[in-house]
Amino acid sequence: MEFILAAVVALSAAALGSPLLQAAGRRLKASAYASIAALVVAIAMVAANTAYGGSVSYFGRLLVSDVLGDLFALVVLSVSLAVAVVSVYSSHSSQNMPSYYSLLLFSALGMLLLSYSADLLMLFVAWELMSLPTYVLAGFDKKRAESNEAAAKYAILGALSSAIILYAISLTYGVTGTTQISGVVAKMASEPFNPLFSVAILLFIVGFGFKMSIVPFHMWVPDAYEGAPPAVATLFATATKKAGFVAAIRVVLAIATVYALAPNSVFTLANVFAVLAVVTMTLGNVAALTQKSMTRLLAYSSIAQAGYILVGFAIFAYSQQTGLYTYNAVLGMTGSLFHIVNHAIMKGAAFLAATLVLIQLKRSDLDIYNGLAKRMPITAFTLAISFLALGGIPPLNGFWSKLLLFLSVINTPLAWVAVAAILNSAFSLGYYFWVIKRMYLDQGESTERVNEPFGFVVIFAVLVGLMIGIGLFPQQFIAFAHAAASSLFT
Amino acid sequence: MAAVPLPSYFVWLIFILPYVGTVAAPLTGKGRVRDAVAVLFPLLSALFALDLLIPVIRGDTISLVNSIIPASVPWIPELGISFGVLSDPYTVIIANLVAWISFLVMLYSVDYMKGDRGLTRYWFFMNFFIGSMQLIVLSNNLLGLFIGWEGVGLCSYALIGYYYHDETENWVGTPGSTALGEEQAYPPSHAGMKAFVMTRVGDLAMLAGILILFVFSGTFNYHDLATSTGWATALAASGLLVPVALLIFGGAVGKSAQFPLQEWLPDAMAGPAPVSALIHAATMVNAGVVLVARIGPIFYFALASNPALIQPFFMVVAWIGAFTAFMAATQAMVGFELKKLLAYSTVSQIGYMMLALGLAGLSTNFAEGLSAGLFQLMSHAIFKAALFLMAGFLIHLTGTKYINEMGGLKDKLKITFSIFLIAAAALSGIPPLSGFWSKDAILATAWGAGQYGLFIVGSATAGLTAFYAFRMLGLVFYGIRAKPGGGDTGHEPREPSPLSWVPYSVLGVGTVVIGILGFFNLGNFLQASAITYIYSLFSGASFSTLSPTSPFNYTSSLITIGFVIMGLFFSIQLYVRRKLPPSRIVGGSKLAGGVHRFLENRWYINAVYYKVFVNAPLRASYWAFDNLEVGGLERVNDGARALAMWFSAGGNWFDRNVIDLVSNGAAGSGQRLSRAFRRLQTGVLEQYALVLAVGLIILLLLFLLLSGVRLLI
Repeated sequence: MEFILAAVVALSAAALGSPLLQAAGRRLKASAYASIAALVVAIAMVAANTAYGGSVSYFGRLLVSDVLGDLFALVVLSVSLAVAVVSVYSSHSSQNMPSYYSLLLFSALGMLLLSYSADLLMLFVAWELMSLPTYVLAGFDKKRAESNEAAAKYAILGALSSAIILYAISLTYGVTGTTQISGVVAKMASEPFNPLFSVAILLFIVGFGFKMSIVPFHMWVPDAYEGAPPAVATLFATATKKAGFVAAIRVVLAIATVYALAPNSVFTLANVFAVLAVVTMTLGNVAALTQKSMTRLLAYSSIAQAGYILVGFAIFAYSQQTGLYTYNAVLGMTGSLFHIVNHAIMKGAAFLAATLVLIQLKRSDLDIYNGLAKRMPITAFTLAISFLALGGIPPLNGFWSKLLLFLSVINTPLAWVAVAAILNSAFSLGYYFWVIKRMYLDQGESTERVNEPFGFVVIFAVLVGLMIGIGLFPQQFIAFAHAAASSLFT
Repeated sequence: MAAVPLPSYFVWLIFILPYVGTVAAPLTGKGRVRDAVAVLFPLLSALFALDLLIPVIRGDTISLVNSIIPASVPWIPELGISFGVLSDPYTVIIANLVAWISFLVMLYSVDYMKGDRGLTRYWFFMNFFIGSMQLIVLSNNLLGLFIGWEGVGLCSYALIGYYYHDETENWVGTPGSTALGEEQAYPPSHAGMKAFVMTRVGDLAMLAGILILFVFSGTFNYHDLATSTGWATALAASGLLVPVALLIFGGAVGKSAQFPLQEWLPDAMAGPAPVSALIHAATMVNAGVVLVARIGPIFYFALASNPALIQPFFMVVAWIGAFTAFMAATQAMVGFELKKLLAYSTVSQIGYMMLALGLAGLSTNFAEGLSAGLFQLMSHAIFKAALFLMAGFLIHLTGTKYINEMGGLKDKLKITFSIFLIAAAALSGIPPLSGFWSKDAILATAWGAGQYGLFIVGSATAGLTAFYAFRMLGLVFYGIRAKPGGGDTGHEPREPSPLSWVPYSVLGVGTVVIGILGFFNLGNFLQASAITYIYSLFSGASFSTLSPTSPFNYTSSLITIGFVIMGLFFSIQLYVRRKLPPSRIVGGSKLAGGVHRFLENRWYINAVYYKVFVNAPLRASYWAFDNLEVGGLERVNDGARALAMWFSAGGNWFDRNVIDLVSNGAAGSGQRLSRAFRRLQTGVLEQYALVLAVGLIILLLLFLLLSGVRLLI
């Protein structure tokens, strides 16, 4: 636990110190380097916790240190680090760089705490600590109308979802008399059915579903991704979205182990998740096909990927309710967690590539991607690999997690979800390939080489290396996801 | 029969080396070094393959010794999956075919593609293509095969669409021609996409099949599937045995361009000629055959107690093969695009291979059909590679892709003509060339199995094959040049450089050598290889002995030769001796003209696919986005707004008379805030919140409806 506390201290110190650096009149970039250093330290600490820390709780069970938390903390902090590095290059952060980094670090701190939250109140505080800075970050290009618009929309809808979560927490407390998640689970284990509690679960799903970008709570996603500064959009797509998933796992799936939403009816958690999964992936893919802007295409593709991740949730809930298919449930949650990790890598790479294009060429419509391979070869290659991985082409990393997800449901009564997912996966290749074709085959407006800054190239190399490396040697990663998934089964 | 120990990395290197070449060639600049490197790695790979072939020819078995890389390494321990390589004679023979033909094609490419701007890209994908194909052949499990499978799909997309600038000269089909109102000529990038999407349909079925198989068996490994057969019983009990086998077969239908997914292959001609040679002879289309040769025996012997349960699967395979063979052969009888005709011919010849593999499960000796399929794969790969390489040269030379504009090249091109003659004769199945023996083995198997329907279709198709093969030969080499002085240079036609003619001459000689070996029981040798392969799959399990049988019988051979002679007679009269202009026949009667149009338009299958599967869903997708994601919301929002107005009308009165007095100040600031937000498209925001709320309400309503909760009101 000392490790996590150290990570918290490092992030807090840098987040608070960053504006002070500005006040002290130091060079603006010093805050960027301080933040990057703090994030590196935090990642190292979480890694150390993974290696040496056990499953312990502290602060009176407000936080609990387990493999699941480590997995999410590593993902969100790594993404934050990548965003911090590339933000050095983007113009929007130049004026108020210290505040920008301060907000970024506060959000990262919120996500870190959220990963380990074991109490509903702690979870809510962490949730807000994560969300509030992002509302500001979305509007950080304050001179650009779209950025302001994105911030306003995101903030209002975000507040709505926070209110829904808070209402769900209060209902839960009213029914069970505790806010500790393990306490809630223990209490509900003896109570077969309570309509108020069921309503609370549905409210949780809606509230968390907002961040997870599940249809129909997804409407803000394309607008916010498009309007926000691109590096911030990367954060939304790959980090805060993951926070929605960890919250859902910590709360809703924990409750699912003992409580059926509505006994003796088809309205079960498994079916809710399954339907949301299929609707989300289908709508995401169909809408992505018709987009004209890269950011919106990525946004819809990100929505579709959330649908795949939900498949594991569905089979988990199903197995907990029926007591059957435990092996499938382990497989499904392993697939979900692995896909969450992979999605952060794949979508992170795609978003950062789009970020660089936007920074250098000032456009994000798909036409600017024509002939990109000649102008920005490294960026185009990164984007191509990430699209292949997102499409599930073997042997890249996305293939394995999708394979696990498909396998987990194919021989269960939820097989129709697998069918829908496989069809979706094939369908999605259509728009992924379309972009790859544009970049490599089509004639661009110009063939002039465009500078690709060093920091971006390093991040691209790391991400492409991860996509191919995990694809070729997935053992360790699957083992990690498997360990985290197994910890859900008590 | 001795067991020859070989280090296991020999096998691994066969597919790893081309992958290394993939990366190595682009790193060596843009000059001749790059070309040399790009050809070197396939050569090294082929040499390692040869090391495995030598013991196989001697009749020994190979036992792999773990060295540097073990024969099998753990891959995903959580699922109990490991990855390994095979070294049985059947696999080794196919790997050698792939390796050596690929090498010759690469060698030919050096000259053929010289000076092309995208050459680095070309070498990259060609090497990747070869590596992926070898992965398909050598993998000991379905998952490894699937990975190679997708690699092949990607490369085919990139290579068919190689001339992505889409200059008209690289189009396939005659621009402007239509069938049923659908365009019938495609630019290369379109053809590449078509190949990818169409094979993808099959891949999808295959993936589903493999996953279901895994769920029932817990393994992707061929040997494990063959030795612990509980899955087959379970599948059969749930009635899924044949469906799963057919789903997996769907992948083969796509990749090997069998009916109903054959339409991509004729248009895949848009790529450079060596790419076509590689796709048709060595790599892509054979992948499907390899797949069926893997799962066929496993499914057949898994239910040893009751093989009748799986018979329908083999029946489907055999009939799809026979029907495709016939249909594509009829299409090859008309039309003038040289490479397209060769493509129809490939579809048809692969149909024979599928027929053979289907017959394996319908006859008493499984190895008979299996080895006949291998024989056909072998002879076809060699003569078809030669034909494509020659086609590339002829098109370069004459500057036209239409054979009716060539003509009269016989005396100028002695080497090319003689090799073309050998290859065309082998394609026609004229004894004693390779094609005769392999086709005869298949048809005799059909006869021996009592499948007379399949036999007659296959046998008659042999006649059509002879017709179109010599039609091609006649139009290209006989008569007078229809376009004198045509071509790039206008010079007298002359033979290409040795770097071009040596590769196809080697292949031509190979065709003759295999033909001669046919007299020395090559068929029996292949059957013995097939039997060893089946034994190696089932090693460790109790397994009945397979004894080699000779399928040869005079009746079936004579009937087939009769058909071939008939085809040859008409073809030679019409196109070599030119006794009668064929246009007189087509124009002579309405029926003949109609049949001709039907064949020329590929039985209208292509046009119907475009109507139903391409244009309709595209429109639907746009409609869905416009109406559901955007338009539908507008409508919902309008309704909500009307409702809100209605409420607010009531509220208004209250507002005016009561609230106004209290809150004039507050309202003022509220208005200012509202005006500030109106600039931010408040309409949309309110829609978004509405959707979120509607989603929540639907969830809650469903809960109330379905959970049986009664509200206490």
